Amino acid sequence: MTTRHRVANVDEFTDDPDRVIREVDGLEVGVFFVDGEYYALANYCVHQGAPLCEGRVTGEMDVDENWEWEYDHDPCVVTCPWHEWKFDLETGVNVSDDRYVTPTFETAVEDDTVYVLR
Amino acid sequence: MSTPLRSVEDLETIVDADSHVAESVDDIVEYIDGDRFSGSLEILSHSTNPVMDVYSNSLPTPGFVDRGYEIDDVHAKFDQLEEFGITHALIGPTTNLNIASVDNPQLALALANGYNSWVLEEFIERHDRLYGHVLVPHHKPDRAVEEIERLADRPSIRGIYLPGTGTVPPLGDERYDPIYEAASEHDMPVVVHASIGASHTMFPTQTMWNETYAEEHVITHPFTHMWNLTTMLLRGVPERFPDVTFVFQEAGVGWIPYLLWRLDDHYLQFADELPYLEKLPSEYVRDQFYFTTQPLGHTAHNGRHLAWAIEMAGPESIMYSSDLPHTDFDPPEELFDRIRPAFDDDVVAGIMGETAAEVFDLE
Repeated sequence: MTTRHRVANVDEFTDDPDRVIREVDGLEVGVFFVDGEYYALANYCVHQGAPLCEGRVTGEMDVDENWEWEYDHDPCVVTCPWHEWKFDLETGVNVSDDRYVTPTFETAVEDDTVYVLR
Repeated sequence: MSTPLRSVEDLETIVDADSHVAESVDDIVEYIDGDRFSGSLEILSHSTNPVMDVYSNSLPTPGFVDRGYEIDDVHAKFDQLEEFGITHALIGPTTNLNIASVDNPQLALALANGYNSWVLEEFIERHDRLYGHVLVPHHKPDRAVEEIERLADRPSIRGIYLPGTGTVPPLGDERYDPIYEAASEHDMPVVVHASIGASHTMFPTQTMWNETYAEEHVITHPFTHMWNLTTMLLRGVPERFPDVTFVFQEAGVGWIPYLLWRLDDHYLQFADELPYLEKLPSEYVRDQFYFTTQPLGHTAHNGRHLAWAIEMAGPESIMYSSDLPHTDFDPPEELFDRIRPAFDDDVVAGIMGETAAEVFDLE
């Protein structure tokens, strides 16, 4: 059964994107505020256990119909500070290999308080 | 070993046999001997873009996202090593990994002089478990020997550091014999490090036609070592310098068994060309050569494969390295967890640090 855990007040997210890292029921969780939405991921890179959520939040590279680089500037990816593995903020799925997935958690906002459901 | 090794925390000694500082040209210029290198200092003061107009580095694309590294002093360096449980480290440069591609031999020597004094005074002589090497450019081996003589007696110096990538002719060429002779006289290992920035327009580490940092980085390090090691072995460097040990850094271990099989096969087939060798190339490697482990590569598909590669390469020749602070570093667990089930505890302890402690004569 999931429990709602208070992690922050909305005032703590001063930029967009921004993040806080909090312990939630014994697990460090990164809560990201991006384009008006909140996303929560385990602060743990499945590669070698690095603090994933301390990494840069960026857009995502894609390839166009001519096999040329095409960059989507909308922030949607967190890059691990250790070895630059990149994970989708919403799904936790590694952008290069979908067998590597970071646990994600539902978030909720009520009365200016941000919660993680775990 | 008093207790069985169950986790990496049970190891008494973890030696990072290939660790780095991240020096800028401004850092080291202050330490270049102003009397000996006044002309080179004047030329360096004209530089607006030392990566290009001094080091002649070229890359297909910018590469790593973040190369800030934030280890500006000895405390930050050792704190980072301690964070990963590393007890001792052998330190090498970052910018000056690429000293081989400095086109001007005088500048190369001046930069090595400055780097060596800087790393001694700012890092390795400020901590009793950090050690380093005399960096020497390959351009003029007799001048390199002068730099070795200047510093070989400093207690923190534990090896002679030669660039691997961009080093032409390769390290088996007899012009480098004075450097190996100095290593023999001072009883210090010769350390050979590969690097992407010094890739050049010639075989085997070619920049030309590589389109991404990734593809250049994949091939540069192993190709560098394959060429240098092959020429050293087949031209008899270890036969001429039987008491010198050689340490190859930063290409992982997977390439070693393949190359050794191939070298032995060619030694047996081309006996007419190689009469001065007295034993199989792999036997010279077993007796005189060592390899540091980083980058292990992505070995998650089957953890046993890494242990098998080390078994094939020769576990006594393998030494753990992290490469910290570079962003392709390996924490000790990445190696330990793969090898602990495969080898006896003393072999594991050897790979993780005891062998390096012996090779580099660490306290």
